[in-house]
Amino acid sequence: MLLDVICLSFIVALIRGGRIKEFPKFKKVVLLVITIVLQVCAAFFPTVGGIFISIAYVFILAFLICNREFEDMRIFLIGWFLNAIAIWTNNGKMPIDLEQAKKLPYDLEPVINGTNFKHSVLTESSNLPFLTDVIYMPLIIPRVISIGDIFIMLGAFLLVQRLMNKPISLLQLHEGKRYATKN
Amino acid sequence: MRQKINLSNLIKGIVVQFGFVIAAICISYSSISEWEPREHWGVLFTYTLLTIFSCFSPVRISNTILTVNNAVIFSGILLYGVWVGVWTALIESIIIAFLGRIHPLKAAFNIGQLLMTIWVVATLNEWINSFGTISPIISDIFLAVVYWFVNLMLCGLGISYFYQNSWIQTVKAMAKGFTSTYLLLMILAGVGARLVETYGPLTLIPMMIAFYTISHVFHHYYENLQRLQQKVEEVKSFNHNFLTAMAASIDARDHYTSGHSQRVAHWGKEIAVEIGLPADKVEEVYVGGILHDIGKIGIADEILNKKGKLTPEEYDKIKQHTVIGYEIILQAGMFHELLPAIRSHHERMDGRGYPDGLKGDEIPLIARILAISDSFDAMVADRPYRKGLPVEEALQEIRRGAGTQFDPELASHFVAIVERLPREELQRIIGQESNPKKQLQEANS
Repeated sequence: MLLDVICLSFIVALIRGGRIKEFPKFKKVVLLVITIVLQVCAAFFPTVGGIFISIAYVFILAFLICNREFEDMRIFLIGWFLNAIAIWTNNGKMPIDLEQAKKLPYDLEPVINGTNFKHSVLTESSNLPFLTDVIYMPLIIPRVISIGDIFIMLGAFLLVQRLMNKPISLLQLHEGKRYATKN
Repeated sequence: MRQKINLSNLIKGIVVQFGFVIAAICISYSSISEWEPREHWGVLFTYTLLTIFSCFSPVRISNTILTVNNAVIFSGILLYGVWVGVWTALIESIIIAFLGRIHPLKAAFNIGQLLMTIWVVATLNEWINSFGTISPIISDIFLAVVYWFVNLMLCGLGISYFYQNSWIQTVKAMAKGFTSTYLLLMILAGVGARLVETYGPLTLIPMMIAFYTISHVFHHYYENLQRLQQKVEEVKSFNHNFLTAMAASIDARDHYTSGHSQRVAHWGKEIAVEIGLPADKVEEVYVGGILHDIGKIGIADEILNKKGKLTPEEYDKIKQHTVIGYEIILQAGMFHELLPAIRSHHERMDGRGYPDGLKGDEIPLIARILAISDSFDAMVADRPYRKGLPVEEALQEIRRGAGTQFDPELASHFVAIVERLPREELQRIIGQESNPKKQLQEANS
């Protein structure tokens, strides 16, 4: 996922004259590992997948909070937090709007059957539908995204910029200063 | 009086801490049902993008920073209603809360005041629309002003509570700072909303470019203004330094009065503060004290440093220092406001002073102040050939001279100031030696 956004971010960073210097050191990477393990478990037991995914979101939020000293992590936190609310209130699965999803070239059968471990069908009874996957995004890889995904993409963009040693500080921008903190 | 302040602060506290938060919860909750219909999701998505954009392209004006979020919220209210405004405000608050380190109480207050503003404006908008006879262009301008006003009043209430100031004064200060730019952005948002209504969402592109350009222009304008101010300050401080260095060099030349100008400036400042002069006048008195004897630069060394009694001719020459100082400052092109003070600091209330023989109120206030502090320092300072008078005797002299030599009111204030000071402090000030570097720093501060 997000491959196109990441590639685009790399291209932007290259145009801005960045290059990889060192990989950032994240704290508590074990939390991220737990998240992945839980998601794999959810894929193996799709019937109780909702529980695993809900817990996985707790760990990923914890991971982001541990690394909140970086601005891109905080933007990620907004996105994952909004998505987490949607998932927690909908039994651990992200409802997806079929009307939009039909435009995608994927097989929607598992989602409709309820065997997809991550997504369910958006219905009248879904909670907080405006936070679920309802926006069709045609470019670059077509997908259906949620409001939270906007922030995740923005966070990914910022993370890549930092990785390429050309960080952009949104906080500085917000305060009306130049965006670059250091070269 | 104190109880009254406490009571009003208590009421403010209840309103800000509970009223605002409850209002925020109620308004948000009532909007959720409006977010649920399918046809509204696209609008919410667009306004999320707009909020992200506007959060990070603020308009910077002299000392405050305006985000264009209020303009985005306003356009949302006009086009769709209260629910878009509430959504935008919430997304903005979430972004700011996650991004910065924020005081939770202040954050809650901020979202409360914003949502209340939105609710008031949206309700008013619906009410105006129900008539159906008023042109939206006119009502938009009216609503923009209402938005600004409600926002200002509620913000002022919160700030006056957190910083313990008066509500009205806070609002006044805020209004002075950013009203014109704020209204400009709001009216642009109104126009933009109507354009979007007519020509569709593509209008957003020129609107966003316009916003960006405005913010860019403002940024440059205020940056240049700041740079100019800095330059003016530099030139000013250079002039200050130059003249102060000159004054210090007089002190250095006149062995009898080392540090005299600095002490006269100090006492002059104390008197000025005591009689309640405004800060800029106090500063004037201080600089006047530093410069009052600058004319001594034109007095021959052998007269200035003569031991023993001066002949009447020599004394006449000494008297010239007031006029010489006046002319030096006149030519320097700086401190013109100090000219009368420097010329007249040896005048007496009874008209027997020099150089012009002015009487009573004809003598400028600064000169009257400096006359007292000058005489006092001359009396109490040690000279190489004699010890200074004890402070009590010097004060007695000041009292005796009140009405003839000195302004009686200023003299009584001065006596009160000196008597109030602890003994060690007094000795420290009187014993202060000339220190040109410190003198420079103080004159610049």
